[in-house]
Amino acid sequence: MTPLLRVERMTKTFDALVANREVSFQVNQGDLFGIIGPNGAGKTTLFNCIAGRYAPTSGRIFFDNRDVTSLSAHQMARLGLARTFQVYAASGDLTVLENVMVGCFLRTRSRFKARQRASEILEEFGLADLADTLLVEVPVAYQKLVTAATAVATRPKLLLLDEVAAGLNPTEVEQIMAMIRHINQNRGITVILIEHVMTLVMNLCHRIMVLDSGEKIAEGPPEEVAALPAVIKAYLGERYVQTQLGGQ
Amino acid sequence: MEVVRNAFDFSDFPKTDLLVVGCGLLFLLFFPLLPHSTFAMATMIQFLMFSLYGMGWNTIGGYGGQVDLGKAQYVGIGAYTTAVMLIRWDVPFWVSMPAGVMFSVTWSFIIGYPLFRLTGHYFAIATIATSLVLKDVFEVWDFVGAARGLEILATKYDAVDFTHLIFENDNYYYYILLAFFLLGILIINWFRHSRLGYQLRCIKDNELIAQSLGIDVHKSKVKTYALATAFVSVVGSFHACYIKNIEPEDTMSLDLSILIALMAMLGGAGSLWGPIIGAGILIPLKSYLKEWLGASAGLVGIDLILYALIIMVVSAVEPRGVWGLIEKIRARRT
Repeated sequence: MTPLLRVERMTKTFDALVANREVSFQVNQGDLFGIIGPNGAGKTTLFNCIAGRYAPTSGRIFFDNRDVTSLSAHQMARLGLARTFQVYAASGDLTVLENVMVGCFLRTRSRFKARQRASEILEEFGLADLADTLLVEVPVAYQKLVTAATAVATRPKLLLLDEVAAGLNPTEVEQIMAMIRHINQNRGITVILIEHVMTLVMNLCHRIMVLDSGEKIAEGPPEEVAALPAVIKAYLGERYVQTQLGGQ
Repeated sequence: MEVVRNAFDFSDFPKTDLLVVGCGLLFLLFFPLLPHSTFAMATMIQFLMFSLYGMGWNTIGGYGGQVDLGKAQYVGIGAYTTAVMLIRWDVPFWVSMPAGVMFSVTWSFIIGYPLFRLTGHYFAIATIATSLVLKDVFEVWDFVGAARGLEILATKYDAVDFTHLIFENDNYYYYILLAFFLLGILIINWFRHSRLGYQLRCIKDNELIAQSLGIDVHKSKVKTYALATAFVSVVGSFHACYIKNIEPEDTMSLDLSILIALMAMLGGAGSLWGPIIGAGILIPLKSYLKEWLGASAGLVGIDLILYALIIMVVSAVEPRGVWGLIEKIRARRT
Protein backbone atom coordinates (compact mmCIF):
# COMPACT_ATOMS: atom_id res chain seq x y z
CA MET A 1 0.00 0.00 0.00
CA THR A 2 1.55 3.25 -1.09
CA PRO A 3 0.53 6.29 0.91
CA LEU A 4 -1.01 9.04 -1.23
CA LEU A 5 -1.80 11.54 1.49
CA ARG A 6 -0.14 11.83 4.86
CA VAL A 7 -1.15 14.44 7.41
CA GLU A 8 1.25 14.81 10.33
CA ARG A 9 0.24 16.45 13.60
CA MET A 10 -1.62 19.18 11.77
CA THR A 11 -3.07 22.04 13.80
CA LYS A 12 -5.18 24.88 12.49
CA THR A 13 -6.28 27.72 14.68
CA PHE A 14 -8.38 30.80 13.96
CA ASP A 15 -7.36 33.28 16.65
CA ALA A 16 -8.41 31.57 19.88
CA LEU A 17 -10.44 28.87 18.17
CA VAL A 18 -8.67 25.57 17.59
CA ALA A 19 -10.32 23.99 14.54
CA ASN A 20 -7.90 21.08 14.22
CA ARG A 21 -5.57 19.90 16.95
CA GLU A 22 -2.62 17.64 16.09
CA VAL A 23 -4.53 15.59 13.56
CA SER A 24 -2.51 12.79 11.94
CA PHE A 25 -3.71 10.24 9.42
CA GLN A 26 -2.74 8.56 6.23
CA VAL A 27 -4.71 7.63 3.15
CA ASN A 28 -3.38 5.02 0.75
CA GLN A 29 -3.65 4.82 -3.00
CA GLY A 30 -7.07 3.50 -3.98
CA ASP A 31 -8.64 4.02 -0.55
CA LEU A 32 -12.16 5.19 0.07
CA PHE A 33 -11.74 7.06 3.32
CA GLY A 34 -14.54 8.64 5.35
CA ILE A 35 -14.39 11.44 7.88
CA ILE A 36 -17.29 11.76 10.29
CA GLY A 37 -17.97 13.81 13.37
CA PRO A 38 -20.43 16.31 14.84
CA ASN A 39 -20.92 19.77 13.35
CA GLY A 40 -18.02 22.04 14.18
CA ALA A 41 -15.60 19.13 14.63
CA GLY A 42 -13.24 20.67 12.09
CA LYS A 43 -13.88 18.35 9.16
CA THR A 44 -14.21 21.02 6.50
CA THR A 45 -11.28 22.96 7.94
CA LEU A 46 -9.22 19.82 7.57
CA PHE A 47 -10.27 19.62 3.90
CA ASN A 48 -9.45 23.28 3.39
CA CYS A 49 -5.96 22.78 4.81
CA ILE A 50 -5.29 19.71 2.69
CA ALA A 51 -6.63 21.40 -0.45
CA GLY A 52 -4.47 24.48 0.07
CA ARG A 53 -7.18 26.99 0.85
CA TYR A 54 -5.84 27.50 4.36
CA ALA A 55 -2.25 27.18 5.49
CA PRO A 56 -2.01 24.94 8.58
CA THR A 57 -0.82 26.66 11.75
CA SER A 58 1.55 23.80 12.41
CA GLY A 59 2.23 20.27 11.20
CA ARG A 60 2.93 18.94 7.74
CA ILE A 61 0.96 17.58 4.82
CA PHE A 62 2.49 15.20 2.26
CA PHE A 63 0.76 14.43 -1.01
CA ASP A 64 2.17 11.95 -3.49
CA ASN A 65 5.54 11.92 -1.64
CA ARG A 66 5.81 15.70 -1.68
CA ASP A 67 5.60 18.20 1.13
CA VAL A 68 2.62 20.30 0.07
CA THR A 69 2.01 22.09 3.36
CA SER A 70 2.45 25.57 1.95
CA LEU A 71 0.97 25.13 -1.54
CA SER A 72 -2.08 27.09 -2.67
CA ALA A 73 -5.37 25.66 -3.89
CA HIS A 74 -4.69 25.94 -7.61
CA GLN A 75 -1.24 24.38 -7.19
CA MET A 76 -2.78 21.45 -5.35
CA ALA A 77 -5.28 21.01 -8.17
CA ARG A 78 -2.43 20.85 -10.65
CA LEU A 79 -0.72 18.18 -8.58
CA GLY A 80 -3.85 16.05 -8.79
CA LEU A 81 -6.11 16.97 -5.92
CA ALA A 82 -9.74 17.80 -6.66
CA ARG A 83 -12.53 18.72 -4.29
CA THR A 84 -16.17 19.66 -4.06
CA PHE A 85 -17.65 22.24 -1.73
CA GLN A 86 -20.26 21.69 0.93
CA VAL A 87 -22.28 24.77 0.08
CA TYR A 88 -22.39 25.46 -3.58
CA ALA A 89 -24.69 27.95 -5.22
CA ALA A 90 -24.26 28.14 -8.96
CA SER A 91 -24.73 31.66 -10.19
CA GLY A 92 -22.92 32.01 -13.46
CA ASP A 93 -23.93 31.70 -17.07
CA LEU A 94 -22.07 28.45 -17.65
CA THR A 95 -23.92 25.42 -18.93
CA VAL A 96 -23.35 21.98 -17.44
CA LEU A 97 -21.05 21.03 -20.33
CA GLU A 98 -19.08 24.29 -20.11
CA ASN A 99 -18.70 23.80 -16.40
CA VAL A 100 -17.15 20.37 -16.87
CA MET A 101 -15.02 21.81 -19.68
CA VAL A 102 -13.44 24.26 -17.23
CA GLY A 103 -12.29 21.20 -15.28
CA CYS A 104 -10.89 19.62 -18.45
CA PHE A 105 -9.02 22.84 -19.28
CA LEU A 106 -6.62 22.07 -16.43
CA ARG A 107 -5.02 19.36 -18.58
CA THR A 108 -5.50 20.77 -22.08
CA ARG A 109 -5.44 24.12 -23.83
CA SER A 110 -7.63 22.97 -26.69
CA ARG A 111 -11.34 23.77 -26.59
CA PHE A 112 -12.11 20.85 -28.86
CA LYS A 113 -10.32 18.36 -26.63
CA ALA A 114 -11.91 19.89 -23.54
CA ARG A 115 -15.36 19.68 -25.12
CA GLN A 116 -14.86 16.08 -26.18
CA ARG A 117 -13.53 14.96 -22.79
CA ALA A 118 -16.31 16.84 -20.99
CA SER A 119 -18.95 15.16 -23.15
CA GLU A 120 -17.46 11.77 -22.38
CA ILE A 121 -17.48 12.47 -18.66
CA LEU A 122 -21.10 13.64 -18.77
CA GLU A 123 -21.98 10.46 -20.64
CA GLU A 124 -20.14 8.40 -18.03
CA PHE A 125 -21.97 10.11 -15.16
CA GLY A 126 -25.34 9.83 -16.89
CA LEU A 127 -25.65 13.59 -17.25
CA ALA A 128 -25.49 13.86 -21.03
CA ASP A 129 -29.11 15.05 -21.25
CA LEU A 130 -28.29 18.09 -19.16
CA ALA A 131 -25.24 19.16 -21.19
CA ASP A 132 -26.72 22.37 -22.59
CA THR A 133 -28.74 23.36 -19.53
CA LEU A 134 -27.47 26.23 -17.40
CA LEU A 135 -26.01 24.86 -14.19
CA VAL A 136 -28.20 27.27 -12.17
CA GLU A 137 -31.33 25.68 -13.63
CA VAL A 138 -30.34 22.10 -12.77
CA PRO A 139 -31.89 20.49 -9.63
CA VAL A 140 -29.62 20.51 -6.57
CA ALA A 141 -28.99 16.76 -6.60
CA TYR A 142 -27.77 16.99 -10.17
CA GLN A 143 -25.71 20.09 -9.42
CA LYS A 144 -23.84 17.95 -6.93
CA LEU A 145 -23.26 15.28 -9.55
CA VAL A 146 -22.08 17.95 -11.98
CA THR A 147 -19.63 19.47 -9.51
CA ALA A 148 -18.27 15.99 -8.78
CA ALA A 149 -17.99 15.34 -12.53
CA THR A 150 -16.18 18.67 -12.93
CA ALA A 151 -13.75 17.70 -10.17
CA VAL A 152 -13.12 14.36 -11.87
CA ALA A 153 -12.54 16.22 -15.15
CA THR A 154 -9.33 17.68 -13.70
CA ARG A 155 -7.98 14.08 -13.69
CA PRO A 156 -7.19 13.96 -9.99
CA LYS A 157 -5.36 11.30 -8.03
CA LEU A 158 -7.28 12.24 -4.91
CA LEU A 159 -10.83 13.55 -4.67
CA LEU A 160 -12.20 15.25 -1.57
CA LEU A 161 -15.99 15.16 -1.33
CA ASP A 162 -17.56 17.45 1.24
CA GLU A 163 -21.08 16.29 2.17
CA VAL A 164 -22.19 15.40 -1.34
CA ALA A 165 -25.21 13.50 -0.04
CA ALA A 166 -26.51 16.21 2.31
CA GLY A 167 -30.13 17.13 1.68
CA LEU A 168 -30.74 14.41 -0.88
CA ASN A 169 -33.58 11.85 -0.82
CA PRO A 170 -32.78 8.10 -0.53
CA THR A 171 -32.93 7.50 -4.30
CA GLU A 172 -30.55 10.37 -4.92
CA VAL A 173 -28.24 9.06 -2.18
CA GLU A 174 -28.19 5.71 -4.01
CA GLN A 175 -27.24 7.53 -7.20
CA ILE A 176 -24.42 9.42 -5.49
CA MET A 177 -23.16 6.23 -3.88
CA ALA A 178 -23.02 4.48 -7.24
CA MET A 179 -21.11 7.43 -8.63
CA ILE A 180 -18.55 7.47 -5.81
CA ARG A 181 -18.04 3.72 -6.16
CA HIS A 182 -17.54 4.18 -9.88
CA ILE A 183 -15.02 7.00 -9.38
CA ASN A 184 -13.07 4.92 -6.87
CA GLN A 185 -13.18 1.50 -8.54
CA ASN A 186 -13.34 2.15 -12.26
CA ARG A 187 -11.39 5.36 -12.42
CA GLY A 188 -8.97 4.40 -9.68
CA ILE A 189 -9.26 7.73 -7.90
CA THR A 190 -8.62 7.76 -4.18
CA VAL A 191 -11.55 9.35 -2.37
CA ILE A 192 -11.86 11.06 1.00
CA LEU A 193 -15.36 12.04 1.95
CA ILE A 194 -16.96 14.00 4.74
CA GLU A 195 -20.47 12.78 5.32
CA HIS A 196 -23.33 12.79 7.80
CA VAL A 197 -25.42 10.30 5.87
CA MET A 198 -24.33 7.17 7.75
CA THR A 199 -25.69 4.61 5.27
CA LEU A 200 -23.32 6.06 2.69
CA VAL A 201 -20.34 6.07 5.02
CA MET A 202 -20.96 2.57 6.38
CA ASN A 203 -21.56 1.05 2.96
CA LEU A 204 -18.85 2.73 0.96
CA CYS A 205 -15.83 3.51 3.07
CA HIS A 206 -12.96 1.10 3.61
CA ARG A 207 -11.81 3.07 6.61
CA ILE A 208 -13.19 6.00 8.57
CA MET A 209 -11.84 8.58 10.94
CA VAL A 210 -13.84 10.39 13.60
CA LEU A 211 -13.17 13.98 14.56
CA ASP A 212 -14.57 15.65 17.63
CA SER A 213 -13.81 19.23 18.69
CA GLY A 214 -10.91 19.32 16.25
CA GLU A 215 -9.27 16.15 17.49
CA LYS A 216 -9.10 12.69 16.05
CA ILE A 217 -10.85 10.30 18.41
CA ALA A 218 -10.95 7.13 16.33
CA GLU A 219 -9.87 5.53 13.09
CA GLY A 220 -10.43 2.12 11.54
CA PRO A 221 -12.88 -0.01 9.56
CA PRO A 222 -16.42 1.44 9.73
CA GLU A 223 -18.03 -1.36 11.80
CA GLU A 224 -15.29 -1.27 14.42
CA VAL A 225 -15.28 2.48 14.71
CA ALA A 226 -19.07 2.70 14.97
CA ALA A 227 -18.99 0.34 17.94
CA LEU A 228 -16.50 2.38 19.95
CA PRO A 229 -18.07 3.98 23.04
CA ALA A 230 -16.25 7.27 22.48
CA VAL A 231 -17.66 7.57 18.96
CA ILE A 232 -21.17 6.71 20.11
CA LYS A 233 -20.94 9.32 22.83
CA ALA A 234 -19.50 12.05 20.62
CA TYR A 235 -21.42 11.55 17.45
CA LEU A 236 -23.61 8.57 16.69
CA GLY A 237 -25.72 8.47 19.85
CA GLU A 238 -27.25 5.47 21.63
CA ARG A 239 -30.30 5.32 19.41
CA TYR A 240 -28.24 4.86 16.24
CA VAL A 241 -26.41 1.95 17.77
CA GLN A 242 -29.63 0.28 18.87
CA THR A 243 -31.41 0.64 15.57
CA GLN A 244 -28.56 0.18 13.11
CA LEU A 245 -25.98 -1.99 14.76
CA GLY A 246 -28.01 -3.75 17.44
CA GLY A 247 -29.76 -5.95 14.92
CA GLN A 248 -26.60 -7.24 13.29
CA MET B 1 -4.33 26.40 -35.88
CA GLU B 2 -6.92 26.29 -33.17
CA VAL B 3 -6.54 30.00 -32.44
CA VAL B 4 -7.69 30.89 -35.95
CA ARG B 5 -10.41 28.28 -35.85
CA ASN B 6 -11.71 29.71 -32.58
CA ALA B 7 -11.57 33.28 -33.88
CA PHE B 8 -13.79 32.43 -36.84
CA ASP B 9 -16.14 30.08 -35.02
CA PHE B 10 -19.52 31.80 -34.71
CA SER B 11 -21.44 28.54 -34.87
CA ASP B 12 -23.09 28.98 -31.46
CA PHE B 13 -25.19 31.87 -32.76
CA PRO B 14 -28.45 31.14 -34.60
CA LYS B 15 -28.50 31.86 -38.32
CA THR B 16 -30.83 34.83 -37.88
CA ASP B 17 -28.23 36.53 -35.69
CA LEU B 18 -25.54 36.04 -38.25
CA LEU B 19 -27.87 37.47 -40.91
CA VAL B 20 -28.37 40.59 -38.79
CA VAL B 21 -24.62 40.82 -38.22
CA GLY B 22 -24.00 40.44 -41.96
CA CYS B 23 -26.44 43.26 -42.76
CA GLY B 24 -24.81 45.41 -40.11
CA LEU B 25 -21.38 44.79 -41.59
CA LEU B 26 -22.61 45.64 -45.08
CA PHE B 27 -24.00 48.90 -43.76
CA LEU B 28 -20.72 49.70 -41.99
CA LEU B 29 -18.75 48.84 -45.12
CA PHE B 30 -20.79 51.10 -47.40
CA PHE B 31 -21.70 53.85 -44.97
CA PRO B 32 -19.12 56.36 -46.30
CA LEU B 33 -20.58 55.94 -49.79
CA LEU B 34 -24.10 56.78 -48.64
CA PRO B 35 -25.10 60.41 -48.39
CA HIS B 36 -24.27 61.61 -44.89
CA SER B 37 -23.35 64.72 -42.93
CA THR B 38 -19.87 65.21 -41.43
CA PHE B 39 -21.61 65.02 -38.07
CA ALA B 40 -23.00 61.58 -38.91
CA MET B 41 -19.50 60.48 -39.95
CA ALA B 42 -18.02 61.76 -36.70
CA THR B 43 -20.74 59.87 -34.81
CA MET B 44 -19.99 56.67 -36.68
CA ILE B 45 -16.30 56.97 -35.89
CA GLN B 46 -17.18 57.51 -32.23
CA PHE B 47 -19.41 54.45 -32.39
CA LEU B 48 -16.58 52.28 -33.71
CA MET B 49 -14.14 53.67 -31.16
CA PHE B 50 -16.48 53.06 -28.25
CA SER B 51 -17.35 49.59 -29.53
CA LEU B 52 -13.67 48.76 -29.33
CA TYR B 53 -13.29 50.32 -25.89
CA GLY B 54 -16.31 48.31 -24.79
CA MET B 55 -14.98 45.07 -26.29
CA GLY B 56 -11.79 45.55 -24.32
CA TRP B 57 -13.66 46.33 -21.12
CA ASN B 58 -15.92 43.35 -21.69
CA THR B 59 -13.10 40.81 -21.37
CA ILE B 60 -12.27 41.62 -17.77
CA GLY B 61 -15.49 43.42 -16.83
CA GLY B 62 -18.03 41.26 -18.62
CA TYR B 63 -16.63 37.75 -18.91
CA GLY B 64 -14.55 38.17 -15.76
CA GLY B 65 -17.08 40.16 -13.72
CA GLN B 66 -14.44 42.57 -12.41
CA VAL B 67 -15.98 46.03 -12.61
CA ASP B 68 -13.20 48.19 -13.96
CA LEU B 69 -13.84 51.93 -13.87
CA GLY B 70 -10.34 53.04 -14.82
CA LYS B 71 -10.06 52.25 -18.50
CA ALA B 72 -9.47 55.91 -19.42
CA GLN B 73 -5.91 55.81 -18.10
CA TYR B 74 -5.02 53.45 -20.94
CA VAL B 75 -6.75 55.64 -23.51
CA GLY B 76 -4.48 58.36 -22.19
CA ILE B 77 -1.30 56.28 -22.30
CA GLY B 78 -2.04 55.17 -25.87
CA ALA B 79 -2.99 58.66 -27.04
CA TYR B 80 -0.05 60.37 -25.38
CA THR B 81 2.50 57.82 -26.58
CA THR B 82 1.41 58.32 -30.17
CA ALA B 83 1.12 62.11 -29.91
CA VAL B 84 4.45 62.63 -28.14
CA MET B 85 6.33 60.30 -30.49
CA LEU B 86 4.75 61.92 -33.53
CA ILE B 87 5.28 65.52 -32.51
CA ARG B 88 8.77 65.16 -31.06
CA TRP B 89 10.37 62.51 -33.21
CA ASP B 90 8.07 62.09 -36.20
CA VAL B 91 7.52 58.41 -35.36
CA PRO B 92 4.98 56.59 -37.59
CA PHE B 93 1.66 55.57 -36.06
CA TRP B 94 2.39 51.90 -36.77
CA VAL B 95 5.41 52.12 -34.45
CA SER B 96 3.96 54.39 -31.79
CA MET B 97 0.74 52.40 -31.52
CA PRO B 98 2.49 49.14 -30.49
CA ALA B 99 4.79 51.20 -28.27
CA GLY B 100 1.70 52.63 -26.60
CA VAL B 101 0.31 49.13 -26.13
CA MET B 102 3.61 48.11 -24.58
CA PHE B 103 3.53 51.02 -22.12
CA SER B 104 -0.13 50.44 -21.32
CA VAL B 105 0.30 46.72 -20.76
CA THR B 106 3.38 47.30 -18.60
CA TRP B 107 1.43 49.82 -16.54
CA SER B 108 -1.50 47.40 -16.34
CA PHE B 109 0.81 44.77 -14.85
CA ILE B 110 2.21 47.25 -12.35
CA ILE B 111 -1.17 48.33 -11.06
CA GLY B 112 -3.05 45.11 -11.89
CA TYR B 113 -0.80 43.00 -9.73
CA PRO B 114 -1.76 44.69 -6.45
CA LEU B 115 -5.25 45.75 -7.58
CA PHE B 116 -6.47 42.22 -8.21
CA ARG B 117 -5.81 41.39 -4.59
CA LEU B 118 -8.97 43.43 -4.07
CA THR B 119 -12.45 42.26 -5.01
CA GLY B 120 -15.86 43.75 -5.72
CA HIS B 121 -16.41 47.41 -4.96
CA TYR B 122 -12.92 47.85 -3.58
CA PHE B 123 -11.49 46.82 -6.91
CA ALA B 124 -13.76 49.26 -8.77
CA ILE B 125 -12.78 52.13 -6.48
CA ALA B 126 -9.09 51.33 -6.80
CA THR B 127 -9.29 51.40 -10.60
CA ILE B 128 -10.88 54.86 -10.45
CA ALA B 129 -8.15 56.03 -8.09
CA THR B 130 -5.23 54.86 -10.22
CA SER B 131 -6.77 56.41 -13.30
CA LEU B 132 -7.28 59.77 -11.60
CA VAL B 133 -3.78 59.77 -10.15
CA LEU B 134 -2.31 59.17 -13.59
CA LYS B 135 -4.44 61.97 -14.99
CA ASP B 136 -3.12 64.34 -12.30
CA VAL B 137 0.44 63.35 -13.17
CA PHE B 138 -0.13 64.13 -16.84
CA GLU B 139 -1.69 67.47 -15.94
CA VAL B 140 1.53 68.72 -14.36
CA TRP B 141 4.02 66.91 -16.59
CA ASP B 142 5.57 69.48 -18.93
CA PHE B 143 7.11 66.89 -21.26
CA VAL B 144 3.60 65.90 -22.38
CA GLY B 145 2.27 69.44 -22.42
CA ALA B 146 0.81 69.40 -18.90
CA ALA B 147 -2.82 70.57 -18.66
CA ARG B 148 -2.67 72.35 -22.04
CA GLY B 149 -2.16 69.00 -23.73
CA LEU B 150 -0.65 68.36 -27.11
CA GLU B 151 -1.63 69.42 -30.58
CA ILE B 152 -0.75 67.61 -33.79
CA LEU B 153 -0.48 70.12 -36.65
CA ALA B 154 -2.20 68.48 -39.60
CA THR B 155 -0.73 71.03 -42.00
CA LYS B 156 2.71 69.52 -41.51
CA TYR B 157 1.60 66.29 -43.16
CA ASP B 158 0.27 65.25 -46.56
CA ALA B 159 -3.47 65.17 -47.09
CA VAL B 160 -3.30 61.37 -47.10
CA ASP B 161 -0.53 60.12 -44.85
CA PHE B 162 -0.88 56.44 -44.02
CA THR B 163 2.39 56.16 -42.10
CA HIS B 164 1.46 58.86 -39.59
CA LEU B 165 -2.26 58.22 -39.87
CA ILE B 166 -3.07 61.84 -40.66
CA PHE B 167 -5.88 62.41 -43.15
CA GLU B 168 -7.91 65.37 -44.29
CA ASN B 169 -10.80 63.18 -45.26
CA ASP B 170 -12.52 61.30 -42.43
CA ASN B 171 -13.32 58.36 -44.72
CA TYR B 172 -9.75 57.13 -44.31
CA TYR B 173 -10.04 57.20 -40.53
CA TYR B 174 -13.34 55.42 -40.82
CA TYR B 175 -12.03 52.50 -42.86
CA ILE B 176 -8.90 52.04 -40.79
CA LEU B 177 -10.98 52.01 -37.64
CA LEU B 178 -13.43 49.60 -39.26
CA ALA B 179 -10.53 47.22 -39.90
CA PHE B 180 -9.57 47.46 -36.21
CA PHE B 181 -13.22 46.89 -35.32
CA LEU B 182 -13.45 43.68 -37.37
CA LEU B 183 -10.14 42.45 -36.00
CA GLY B 184 -11.41 43.29 -32.52
CA ILE B 185 -14.50 41.12 -33.00
CA LEU B 186 -12.31 38.21 -34.10
CA ILE B 187 -10.01 38.64 -31.10
CA ILE B 188 -12.91 38.71 -28.66
CA ASN B 189 -14.43 35.71 -30.41
CA TRP B 190 -11.15 33.88 -29.95
CA PHE B 191 -11.01 35.01 -26.33
CA ARG B 192 -14.46 33.73 -25.40
CA HIS B 193 -13.61 30.32 -26.90
CA SER B 194 -10.18 30.19 -25.31
CA ARG B 195 -9.17 28.43 -22.13
CA LEU B 196 -8.66 31.84 -20.53
CA GLY B 197 -12.19 32.89 -21.49
CA TYR B 198 -13.75 29.81 -19.91
CA GLN B 199 -11.59 30.15 -16.82
CA LEU B 200 -12.62 33.76 -16.43
CA ARG B 201 -16.30 32.91 -16.59
CA CYS B 202 -15.69 30.32 -13.90
CA ILE B 203 -13.91 32.97 -11.80
CA LYS B 204 -16.90 35.27 -12.21
CA ASP B 205 -19.16 32.48 -10.98
CA ASN B 206 -17.12 31.44 -7.95
CA GLU B 207 -13.45 32.09 -7.24
CA LEU B 208 -13.09 29.29 -4.69
CA ILE B 209 -14.29 26.75 -7.20
CA ALA B 210 -12.07 28.26 -9.88
CA GLN B 211 -9.05 27.76 -7.62
CA SER B 212 -10.06 24.21 -6.80
CA LEU B 213 -10.09 23.50 -10.54
CA GLY B 214 -6.46 24.57 -10.80
CA ILE B 215 -7.04 28.10 -12.05
CA ASP B 216 -4.55 30.67 -10.83
CA VAL B 217 -7.26 33.28 -10.31
CA HIS B 218 -4.93 36.21 -9.80
CA LYS B 219 -2.80 35.43 -12.84
CA SER B 220 -5.84 34.91 -15.08
CA LYS B 221 -7.25 38.27 -14.04
CA VAL B 222 -3.97 40.10 -14.60
CA LYS B 223 -3.59 38.48 -18.03
CA THR B 224 -7.10 39.40 -19.10
CA TYR B 225 -6.71 42.90 -17.74
CA ALA B 226 -3.66 43.28 -20.00
CA LEU B 227 -5.71 42.14 -23.00
CA ALA B 228 -8.44 44.66 -22.17
CA THR B 229 -5.77 47.31 -21.79
CA ALA B 230 -4.26 46.58 -25.20
CA PHE B 231 -7.63 47.13 -26.89
CA VAL B 232 -8.18 50.44 -25.18
CA SER B 233 -4.63 51.64 -25.81
CA VAL B 234 -4.83 50.98 -29.56
CA VAL B 235 -7.97 53.09 -29.82
CA GLY B 236 -6.29 55.73 -27.66
CA SER B 237 -3.45 55.96 -30.17
CA PHE B 238 -6.00 56.25 -32.97
CA HIS B 239 -7.84 58.94 -30.99
CA ALA B 240 -4.66 61.06 -30.90
CA CYS B 241 -4.25 61.02 -34.69
CA TYR B 242 -7.95 61.50 -35.33
CA ILE B 243 -8.75 64.27 -32.83
CA LYS B 244 -5.23 65.80 -33.08
CA ASN B 245 -5.71 67.74 -29.89
CA ILE B 246 -5.40 65.79 -26.69
CA GLU B 247 -5.65 66.89 -23.10
CA PRO B 248 -5.68 64.86 -19.89
CA GLU B 249 -9.23 66.09 -19.32
CA ASP B 250 -10.74 64.37 -22.35
CA THR B 251 -8.52 61.31 -22.70
CA MET B 252 -8.22 60.29 -19.07
CA SER B 253 -11.33 61.58 -17.34
CA LEU B 254 -13.58 59.58 -15.05
CA ASP B 255 -16.46 60.34 -17.44
CA LEU B 256 -14.72 58.39 -20.16
CA SER B 257 -13.99 55.43 -17.89
CA ILE B 258 -17.59 55.27 -16.80
CA LEU B 259 -18.92 55.67 -20.32
CA ILE B 260 -16.79 52.74 -21.50
CA ALA B 261 -18.14 50.51 -18.73
CA LEU B 262 -21.75 51.69 -19.23
CA MET B 263 -21.60 51.05 -22.93
CA ALA B 264 -20.73 47.39 -22.39
CA MET B 265 -23.18 46.96 -19.50
CA LEU B 266 -26.06 48.50 -21.42
CA GLY B 267 -25.48 46.29 -24.44
CA GLY B 268 -24.79 43.19 -22.39
CA ALA B 269 -21.68 42.48 -20.36
CA GLY B 270 -20.15 39.10 -21.03
CA SER B 271 -21.56 38.69 -24.53
CA LEU B 272 -19.79 39.11 -27.84
CA TRP B 273 -22.21 41.64 -29.34
CA GLY B 274 -23.08 43.46 -26.11
CA PRO B 275 -20.54 46.30 -26.28
CA ILE B 276 -21.34 46.92 -29.95
CA ILE B 277 -25.06 47.09 -29.24
CA GLY B 278 -24.38 49.37 -26.28
CA ALA B 279 -22.22 51.72 -28.32
CA GLY B 280 -24.77 51.59 -31.15
CA ILE B 281 -27.47 52.85 -28.79
CA LEU B 282 -25.58 55.25 -26.57
CA ILE B 283 -23.23 57.00 -28.96
CA PRO B 284 -25.81 58.29 -31.46
CA LEU B 285 -28.11 59.14 -28.56
CA LYS B 286 -25.39 61.01 -26.77
CA SER B 287 -24.13 63.03 -29.71
CA TYR B 288 -27.52 63.83 -31.25
CA LEU B 289 -29.10 64.75 -27.95
CA LYS B 290 -26.18 67.06 -27.29
CA GLU B 291 -26.54 68.54 -30.77
CA TRP B 292 -30.29 69.09 -30.56
CA LEU B 293 -30.78 69.93 -26.92
CA GLY B 294 -27.41 71.09 -25.69
CA ALA B 295 -27.46 74.14 -27.91
CA SER B 296 -30.46 75.78 -26.30
CA ALA B 297 -29.48 77.47 -23.07
CA GLY B 298 -30.73 75.88 -19.88
CA LEU B 299 -30.91 72.41 -21.35
CA VAL B 300 -27.22 71.67 -21.07
CA GLY B 301 -26.76 68.28 -19.48
CA ILE B 302 -30.19 66.95 -20.33
CA ASP B 303 -28.54 64.31 -22.51
CA LEU B 304 -26.73 63.06 -19.42
CA ILE B 305 -29.99 62.81 -17.52
CA LEU B 306 -31.67 60.96 -20.38
CA TYR B 307 -29.09 58.29 -20.79
CA ALA B 308 -28.78 57.88 -17.07
CA LEU B 309 -32.52 57.12 -17.15
CA ILE B 310 -32.11 54.57 -19.91
CA ILE B 311 -29.37 52.85 -17.97
CA MET B 312 -31.52 52.74 -14.83
CA VAL B 313 -34.42 51.22 -16.75
CA VAL B 314 -32.24 48.60 -18.40
CA SER B 315 -30.54 47.59 -15.19
CA ALA B 316 -33.91 47.32 -13.44
CA VAL B 317 -35.52 45.29 -16.22
CA GLU B 318 -32.59 43.09 -17.27
CA PRO B 319 -29.17 43.40 -15.67
CA ARG B 320 -27.61 41.48 -18.53
CA GLY B 321 -28.42 44.41 -20.76
CA VAL B 322 -30.02 44.51 -24.18
CA TRP B 323 -28.40 41.23 -25.18
CA GLY B 324 -29.81 39.58 -22.06
CA LEU B 325 -33.24 40.90 -23.03
CA ILE B 326 -32.92 39.44 -26.52
CA GLU B 327 -31.89 36.07 -25.11
CA LYS B 328 -34.78 36.13 -22.63
CA ILE B 329 -37.32 36.79 -25.36
CA ARG B 330 -35.77 34.08 -27.46
CA ALA B 331 -35.88 31.58 -24.59
CA ARG B 332 -39.57 32.35 -24.03
CA ARG B 333 -40.39 31.65 -27.66
CA THR B 334 -38.88 28.18 -27.76
